Amino acid sequence: MNLRSLLILLFVMTSSFLGVSSLFAQTEPLPPALSMDEDLLQQKTKEISRTLRCAVCQSESIWESNATLAIQMRDIIRERLIAGENADEIRAYFVSRYGDYIVFKPRFRGINMLLWGGPFILLLIGGIFLSRALRRWTTQKVEDAPEPLAPIDEKQRERIEAELRSFK
Amino acid sequence: MKGFRTWHGLLLMGLFGLFFLFYQGLWGDPTALPTVIIAEPAPEIIAPSLYGEKQMVLSEHRGKVVVLNFWASWCQECKLEHKFLLAIQKRFEDNPNFVMYGVNYQDKDNLAKAYLDQHGNNFEHIVDLKGKISIDYGVYGVPETFVIDQEGVIRHKIIGPVLGDTFSDLVQNKIEPLLNQSAPLS
Repeated sequence: MNLRSLLILLFVMTSSFLGVSSLFAQTEPLPPALSMDEDLLQQKTKEISRTLRCAVCQSESIWESNATLAIQMRDIIRERLIAGENADEIRAYFVSRYGDYIVFKPRFRGINMLLWGGPFILLLIGGIFLSRALRRWTTQKVEDAPEPLAPIDEKQRERIEAELRSFK
Repeated sequence: MKGFRTWHGLLLMGLFGLFFLFYQGLWGDPTALPTVIIAEPAPEIIAPSLYGEKQMVLSEHRGKVVVLNFWASWCQECKLEHKFLLAIQKRFEDNPNFVMYGVNYQDKDNLAKAYLDQHGNNFEHIVDLKGKISIDYGVYGVPETFVIDQEGVIRHKIIGPVLGDTFSDLVQNKIEPLLNQSAPLS
């Protein structure tokens, strides 16, 4: 085999290898997990887990709890992160299964709006009540104040002074 | 009434609302758990049988009323309801449109099999290996029982053991009407 034949053979083999490689690359794309750092995965799992309530515990997040259900929920979060879902999608999944109860921070919708807006509405009602009450009290002071006395004439003054002198 | 204005009424309504919320919070049932999965399509289940014979695929039972009972050998309340579950299966086993599965939850195969040997068994059981089925169905603990209609929609969820009145209600008011195609949601 001369040098020219060897070069042609080498070219054909390289082309075939690259072609086959690119074919595999098209049919089997790398899953997002392979591009996600383990530390980042752990950190994201922790962040999401801390926002979800352990369904079988008292006021514990699934990150803090060691209950089997909490551990399984953490595993599911991890699996879904690996599958490429984001935090909101994962939380939405748990809400679709357990309701708003599962999230520590209720969503701003439906009856939950009362939770978010309730304190402000009460503050507004209280403010209106207070301002009306204050206005009434101040108005009442003016209304209830004694009428200014009419000035007395000279004759009355002399009489009063005479009576006062008689007490001495 | 003299001096009674609209805002007085609103204030009273607000206070009444607050009182109602406090009442609910203080004297409501603290064990009541929200159920959001009713009337939703039943999540697909592909799970191995407890006895390893074959895999169960829920969607293959479309067209049938499916009862799923989540249980575990360590669960005391499951023991109480077990004979009632056997009775349900016995009552409907001849109906080709009915199927019941036990979903073994957070358990060990050998303990689950020993439990069934001891308490009897007349329906199939699958294993929830990593809790995925339980979480997909929003299960808080065991026992919990789901009734899925012929369209693959979850129609009923029962938290706690199926016995006494709950058993009668499940059979007469939930499963039978579904098999007769005339059932309301619960």
